[in-house]
Amino acid sequence: MYNFEYRRAQSVAEAAKLIKEADDGKILAGGMTLIPTLKQRLAQPSDLIDIGKIAELKGISVSGKTLTIKAMTRHFDVHSSPEVKKAIPALAVLAGGIGDPSVRHRGTIGGSTANADPAADYPAGIVGLGATIETNKRKIAADDFFTGLFETALEPGELIIAVHFPIPDKAGYLKFAHLASGYATCGVMVSKTGNQVRVGVTGAGPNAFRVPEMEAALAKTFTPDAIANIKYPADELLSDMHASAEYRAHLVTVIAKRAVAAALA
Amino acid sequence: MDMSGEQRIPAPQQMVWDSLYDPEVLKLCIPGCDSVEKTSETEFTAKVVVAVGPVKAKFTGDVSLLDIDAPNSCTISGKGNGGIAGFGKGNAKVELTADGNDTILKYTAQASVGGKLAQIGARLVDSTAKKLADEFFKRFVAHMTEKAASGRA
Repeated sequence: MYNFEYRRAQSVAEAAKLIKEADDGKILAGGMTLIPTLKQRLAQPSDLIDIGKIAELKGISVSGKTLTIKAMTRHFDVHSSPEVKKAIPALAVLAGGIGDPSVRHRGTIGGSTANADPAADYPAGIVGLGATIETNKRKIAADDFFTGLFETALEPGELIIAVHFPIPDKAGYLKFAHLASGYATCGVMVSKTGNQVRVGVTGAGPNAFRVPEMEAALAKTFTPDAIANIKYPADELLSDMHASAEYRAHLVTVIAKRAVAAALA
Repeated sequence: MDMSGEQRIPAPQQMVWDSLYDPEVLKLCIPGCDSVEKTSETEFTAKVVVAVGPVKAKFTGDVSLLDIDAPNSCTISGKGNGGIAGFGKGNAKVELTADGNDTILKYTAQASVGGKLAQIGARLVDSTAKKLADEFFKRFVAHMTEKAASGRA
């Protein structure tokens, strides 16, 4: 690890000020990606601004048809929350399958969302449920948030405050996890609200994306069989040592079918 | 890892060929490039910052052009050292063919990455390399489009 200045922010306003003043600063949330990267000397920020202890960034609440999870809420707390289990059980399932127990007790929804790892679970939940990302500057719709491999609509110094999830009638999340890391080789969140269906996919492409063709088919008939013959084009998907693009394209259909079955269960 | 692709560039073949040799153009088009220096007619040294997700590593690389058949094809061979982060090397065969006023650029590349970057980032190396290659050609095509348009005007 290289030297850096450690700063603990007490409020969102202070964190925003510190990151602006820093020469080449990084925001530290749960640190489940950033700290291993620093330990390997694969990055050398001048300052780390720790936002993990900011009280106004923690908590889960339901208001009307919206479930709000503040940015520094840990995966374990989302997984075990009675409010989440009641409002969107599929989201509790998603949070309970992230990484391993240590990661779930340290990692946060805001950190995972801002990092935008192509194989992270939350992006599928955010896109598949049509969440809204609230930052210290504005609100960003899920469809506009994930823009590429590790790339988001966030501007330098912009902080996620909370993620607002509209509560669907039904939702299901399932992933085909890589055996060693638990990362999603392909993960799908399917949700249905009235006649509207959303299908959010993570792990398969450079960033989480929707599958409009499956959404249209499921809006007519919400059954696994309705999408059995819909194939996602492989040329837009990732290919690496774990899975080829063709295999990932195959997984999109298989996992989406199972996610629909989970939503109906 | 192997990559290949084809790009249509709305500029004459000779202009595209000359630009591939121009350190200023390369500096503009290589993502995260700080500097490109020409060390001989066919050799360059480049300093590049690769920033993907949490990783940010500085690479110093030597690039040489081999098998030159101007203005039709050449092989670009490079190796880069990122100190503790790791190292990378690769070859790209580039072919240019004229198609009316446009030029078709075809490339096939092999690249390999070693060291810490490869160990830690194994699952992301291929996707990152593709992203950087796409970004390079996007910028190169945009630059050539602009250059050809101002040249013709």
